[in-house]
Amino acid sequence: MVARRRLVAAAVWLVSASVVGAQQPTNFVSCPIVRDTASVPCWLAEYNGELYFLTLQTDVSAPVTPPWLGHRVLVEGAVSAEPRICGGIVLKPVHLSVLERDASCNTMLPAEERYNLTFEPPRPPGPSGGRLAFANTPSAPRPAVTASAREFVVSYPFDGLVGFTHAGALTEILQFARTVNAREIEIVGYRGSVRLSNGQTMVEEPAIGKKRAEQVAMLLKGANLTEPAYQVSWRDEAAPATGVDDYLSRRVVVTVRR
Amino acid sequence: MSLAASAQSGSRLWWAPGQGTALADFTTYQNDRGAVGVLNTSGRLETKGHPFFEPIGTNGRACVTCHQPADGMSLSVRTVRERWEATAGKDPLFAAVDGMNCPHLPPDDPRSHSLLLERGLIRVALPWPPRNPDGSRIDPEFTIEVVRDPSGCNTHRTYGLESANPMISVFRRPRPVANTKYTTHQNFGVSPFIAKSGLPTATDPATGRPTSMNLMSDARAPTLAVQAQDAAEQHLQLKGRLTPSQLAGIVEFEGQVYVAQVSSTAAGSLIDADGPPAFGPRQLAAGDAGVLGNNTTRYVFPMGGKWKQLPRTASDADNARNAARESIARGHDVFMFRTFWIRDSMHLNSVGLGNPTKRTCATCHGMHMTGMDTVNGWMDIGTTNLPWATEVPLNPWNEAQPQMPLFRVTCKPEVKPHPFLGRVIYTQDPGRALISGRCNDVGTIVMEQFRGLAARAPYFSNGSAATLRELVDFYDRRYNIGYSEQEKQDLVNFLGAL
Repeated sequence: MVARRRLVAAAVWLVSASVVGAQQPTNFVSCPIVRDTASVPCWLAEYNGELYFLTLQTDVSAPVTPPWLGHRVLVEGAVSAEPRICGGIVLKPVHLSVLERDASCNTMLPAEERYNLTFEPPRPPGPSGGRLAFANTPSAPRPAVTASAREFVVSYPFDGLVGFTHAGALTEILQFARTVNAREIEIVGYRGSVRLSNGQTMVEEPAIGKKRAEQVAMLLKGANLTEPAYQVSWRDEAAPATGVDDYLSRRVVVTVRR
Repeated sequence: MSLAASAQSGSRLWWAPGQGTALADFTTYQNDRGAVGVLNTSGRLETKGHPFFEPIGTNGRACVTCHQPADGMSLSVRTVRERWEATAGKDPLFAAVDGMNCPHLPPDDPRSHSLLLERGLIRVALPWPPRNPDGSRIDPEFTIEVVRDPSGCNTHRTYGLESANPMISVFRRPRPVANTKYTTHQNFGVSPFIAKSGLPTATDPATGRPTSMNLMSDARAPTLAVQAQDAAEQHLQLKGRLTPSQLAGIVEFEGQVYVAQVSSTAAGSLIDADGPPAFGPRQLAAGDAGVLGNNTTRYVFPMGGKWKQLPRTASDADNARNAARESIARGHDVFMFRTFWIRDSMHLNSVGLGNPTKRTCATCHGMHMTGMDTVNGWMDIGTTNLPWATEVPLNPWNEAQPQMPLFRVTCKPEVKPHPFLGRVIYTQDPGRALISGRCNDVGTIVMEQFRGLAARAPYFSNGSAATLRELVDFYDRRYNIGYSEQEKQDLVNFLGAL
């Protein structure tokens, strides 16, 4: 009985250690690596002599989409307690930003028996079973619009402007503004920074907050949302980086008022 | 041959503007791989006086000139050459405005029409810098220079980039005017913002609704009505506007015509009641538009499990037909399931799938029944951008000269370079970028539907693939697929059956 208690205690300690580990930020810039498998490719990256698993190839509905060979990648993640995937320590959650071109980032590893996935990937490499991999749950009915204002946060990759991930977020803003016959839209663009695990800090380009804010205003107006008055501003100062959830600092906040 | 006979099934004769014969509700036309079917869902159409078939402009052309029923409502280079031979180059098809490499060239000389005669290409002159729909100028993200100008048009003092009215001439294939409920769908992927870029979607000026932007190779016309007006002015040289009646007549007709191959010289009928449900124009007319078929519940081109393994009999003819049908079924499986690495293709690798991505033909060609993209479908697969675009090899032992123009595009310092091609891009046709002014759009072309392919060679927007085999070979080379000879043959047979 005592031995069993000790075993449980040890297990609790291990779990606790894992939880602590799971909260440890692991932020770095590296070349992405793609490893083929019998099913879908795995995306990995090396840092400090260790191999990290970033994500799988799935489809456009995935919360994390793979990086690009030919470019460096900014990895902002936390070490997970999950078993290694494709040989890499699993980072979860993880946020990836495709950075500048780098022709040396060109490692494609062949499929190896030992790196077969031990689970069914959310989507096979060819046609799907008929649904998007991560959009299977129907969204809850939208609550009735009662508030006089609603705030939307548009997130960005490092140094990024609008891209394929933003069509949905922009559509949500547009539809809300039309629904409430918005009279004012306030847009504030922010410039972010990220503290890397090696102690260095990366700061986004100086004018990125302005570019983001003005672009969002241009896009909403371009979608014929021209009735409301627009207040567009930005912060030139980058938010201080802590190494934890720094990705949240790369954003535009849109406040729609009726 | 009488004019009336030219509209009969089995013929592939020219449909002349204003010939006034009726278009039957269902007509078939022979081609090298069998026959294509043209279905008019509203029944027999009297074309006399119909704006699609009458020469309503000033140069003797009609819409039907470049959208021939025998060519799957497009225009094959074979037909172009036949018209040249039959009319000594006098047919309105060869009008100087765009049926010639450039209007200043000597008329009646085949060299002046070489791009049309050899690759089926029509000149498309677009303003530079590009314009918004309201006519205002777009500040482009790049500068553009003419590197090579075989037609002389891009450097011409009247028609060129340095003229008083700066224009860029590119050369493109006429797209089929058929199955338009698919090319103009309002279903999956159509939203106020373009799913691949987050930019605003072009809207229908009549309704304000977002469009699929899949109608033209550069998506410059959001609707059939806008395209019809533009084509009437540019290609028919109509002075002024189409009347509301003409516009309605053209759009209505274009919405009721369906085209697909109906028979195969090797595989026999493609539209038997117990055959695969992918084939024939009636299946297209009955199909759901704008839905994703890159899955195993709906399929892009549903084969219904047919023709996978057919019996062998004592009849050599039956066995040969069954073998051809099995090849088509295998070709479908290559299209749907054969994975390969897709790399450095703008608006494909850049939209969340990673670079490279291990997928199949059906990943991009995913729209049920047509193989188009359901969302706004311009991509750069390298058909017009170097280093992948087909170019004449320059060396002392080759007398052939390049036919296509070549432009140098330089992304301005204040914008990021193209993620896969860098800051300087060489291209035969900047594609969508001539409309959007965006660096990332250079060389992107809206993918085209896969229907009636056997009737309308050559392929790709610049006619660079003379045959379906060349088309397959391009992909094999571009993406280092490594198709086996059997896979290539099967894929060609499948595409030819669509």
